[in-house]
Amino acid sequence: MTKKDKSKKYINPYLGGVLLGLVLIAANFISGRGLGASGAVKSSVVTVVDAVAPSHVESSDFYSSYKETHPTPMKSWLVFEVLGMIVGGFISGTIAGRLKLKVEHNPRITSRRRLLFALGGGILFGLGSQIGRGCTSGSALSGMAIFSVGGIVTMMAIFATAFAFARLFRKNWV
Amino acid sequence: MGPLIVNDIISPDTNLLMAFIIGIGFGWVLESSGFSSSKKLAGLFYGYDTVVLKVFFTAGLTAMIGLLFMSLFGWIDLDLVYINPTYLTSAVVGGLIMGLGFIMGGFCPGTSMCAAAIGKIDAMVFIGGLFLGVLIFTEGYPLIEKMYMANFKGYPRLSEVFNISDGLMALLFIVMALAAFWLAERFEKKTPAPEY
Amino acid sequence: MRTRIIISIVFLSLGLIIAAIPNNKTLNFKMSAEEMIEEFNGRYQFISPDEIADMIISEDPNLQLIDLRSESEYKEFHLPGAVNIPFTDLLDDEYRYLVDQNLKINVFYSNGSVTSNEAWMVTRQLGYRNNYVLEGGLNYWAETIMNPDRPEQTSPNEEIARYNFRKGAGAALGGGSIEPANEMPEPVLPAIKKRPQKKRAQGGC
Repeated sequence: MTKKDKSKKYINPYLGGVLLGLVLIAANFISGRGLGASGAVKSSVVTVVDAVAPSHVESSDFYSSYKETHPTPMKSWLVFEVLGMIVGGFISGTIAGRLKLKVEHNPRITSRRRLLFALGGGILFGLGSQIGRGCTSGSALSGMAIFSVGGIVTMMAIFATAFAFARLFRKNWV
Repeated sequence: MGPLIVNDIISPDTNLLMAFIIGIGFGWVLESSGFSSSKKLAGLFYGYDTVVLKVFFTAGLTAMIGLLFMSLFGWIDLDLVYINPTYLTSAVVGGLIMGLGFIMGGFCPGTSMCAAAIGKIDAMVFIGGLFLGVLIFTEGYPLIEKMYMANFKGYPRLSEVFNISDGLMALLFIVMALAAFWLAERFEKKTPAPEY
Repeated sequence: MRTRIIISIVFLSLGLIIAAIPNNKTLNFKMSAEEMIEEFNGRYQFISPDEIADMIISEDPNLQLIDLRSESEYKEFHLPGAVNIPFTDLLDDEYRYLVDQNLKINVFYSNGSVTSNEAWMVTRQLGYRNNYVLEGGLNYWAETIMNPDRPEQTSPNEEIARYNFRKGAGAALGGGSIEPANEMPEPVLPAIKKRPQKKRAQGGC
């Protein structure tokens, strides 16, 4: 019974989907582009590297060409959008009473193991999103809505791989 | 009329403000749909919780249909909307790595932002990982540049590849997604969710 | 479960409607009358013969000349590198890839500039972006490039430079008589006026 009560607090997934779709339409209508997330991480990484080791940025082709095309990396659409996401997530979590500092994990594994896997997963996702030119939001979701072949290929690769490797990590989740 | 920014109806700074507002909507919907919980996200791959599939594809269909109708009414010029470039090799390689990261970490970049916002420490660590992963990419770029640029196919859209109208393509997507929803709900009933 | 059935019905009916409508039939004309008038006033579509001659000689890979005259006229004479699309066939599907693209600068020409301007208007209203018109057409081309008027000795330097350029260009393009080059500064040609173009929004994750 407790489980039922917990899931009741989330909105209906189909309603959530329609609302998310409307947000995506708004992004396309107002800004002519889809949603995203990993691009903001890239802007931050370049900014940090530029602040810490400016000479390294000068000597690397990648950083210097990125800086040329993005003179002010933090003043980008995605950075503002991701800041909004954090605010939006916070508001929603506050209203639903889900605000709590904790490590969510399966009791069958230690929280240390959960954090290690989260770190590893984050590294892979960060690397993959740069190679694939976008993450689940930027490439897969936004790409699907406008039938972009690249986005749809990436989407299928993400979900197929996750399903294929699910058995390996079963212990972490089930 | 739309996209507003391309047609100079709003200024670049307003566009950034709109990005922030759109972001609030994005984060709000993700969090309230349950995407701030890695348990719910990972559930898709074990069949006990398919909320990801439902939200993701419902959102995709809504946006797809909405944009096609808006284009039909002349409210938005889809020729001016950004279309992701297609580099086949990197799209597949990146997708493979992201899929592995997804099942390991239980988040994707967007959902981890929301989860971190409500205090999930695992999500904050995941975001730390994202930074490292992106750093590995930017530092190692010369090594993978060739692969990154390989098999560039331009900006194709699936409807153009199959040579059918956008509307028909959307209908095909709708039928596939509805079938997937039906299957997902059947699986969900059979598989109990772990208690935690 | 119930929501799924509702959403299935809504999506399927919307999908059937959108699938039954052929692509963008209502949006054939992408430019409003006001926008067209703005374009006319800017005269952005015209490219002078000097600019074209310079691009031909420097073998600019972005240049695509399109001859709108009849096939027989085209066979008799055409500018180097030009392809023939008779005006009446302009919108045929087989030429669509040439006329509606975002890579090259298409320059329409005919004998005068009326036909090519008409072609430009039609394609511009359809929303095609990269089409331009050779100012004055082949007649003016012949006057300026092939048989340029020798300027007075007292003319300003630029005029003499322009004459020399035209003389040289005409020779390089197979016409006119060759004269020993004068010791004149190389003419600097104006860059092509870019009309304010609407570009796709930037994006990416």
